[in-house]
Amino acid sequence: MRKFTVNKDKKQLDPTDAQIKRHKDFSRLHHDYEKLTKRGKKPLYRDPKMFLFLFIIGIILLLIFLGEM
Amino acid sequence: MTSKRHIQQLSESEIIALAKKDRKYFGTLYDRYFERIFRFVFKRLGGDEDTAADLSQQTFIKAMANMEKYEDRGFPFSSWLYRIAQNEVSMYFRQQKKNYSVPIDENRIQDVATEAEIFSSHMSMDDQEKLVEMLNGLEESHLDIIELRFFQQMSFKDIAEIYSVSEATAKMRTYRILERINKQWKNEE
Repeated sequence: MRKFTVNKDKKQLDPTDAQIKRHKDFSRLHHDYEKLTKRGKKPLYRDPKMFLFLFIIGIILLLIFLGEM
Repeated sequence: MTSKRHIQQLSESEIIALAKKDRKYFGTLYDRYFERIFRFVFKRLGGDEDTAADLSQQTFIKAMANMEKYEDRGFPFSSWLYRIAQNEVSMYFRQQKKNYSVPIDENRIQDVATEAEIFSSHMSMDDQEKLVEMLNGLEESHLDIIELRFFQQMSFKDIAEIYSVSEATAKMRTYRILERINKQWKNEE
């Protein structure tokens, strides 16, 4: 929890322009946002329909390969 | 394609509509409000720069992620951002195992004392500490209002917008808390 105290040490409580400038970065924010929102996306092979589709394609390719031999 | 200059000329609600469709347009809102949010968080944390940077970043990420949920209810977009920032900092305080110390300038404490009609002239250090101790004993929600009004030096209009209430309600809530402080002070004298 927070607890207020008297600022006896005269700590700087307002940020300077340089501090604000140092942390203002939209490209970093956008990158972090993308990373966060895309993290939970399932890989294609874990989607049952896509897995079946890829499996059938694989079988067909294997049969073609075996037929040619 | 919408150029950056063109976007700057759009109204806030138009930019919000664009940002809801494509987050790259959120950059204009970020440019517009980053400084205010960073200052707010920095002050709430009593000058902890790195944590202020992290929590400001967190505030904008949450805003970006929840843009679809944002509804214009007649309050400025900034009040929504302040509310997210307010929650982020409060959550941070709750996560701390030990009490998080937030220093407050003497002038700000004097402002509370003057408005609560406890002291009109300069307070001694002992009295300042006594008042701060009393403030620390307030309910969390009451302390938030005192903080916004006196430590963040916000207008009643700004406070009202953060809480989505009328200016008169914000004023009334503040003065009720000050009245309580006044009574408590007098009882302890």
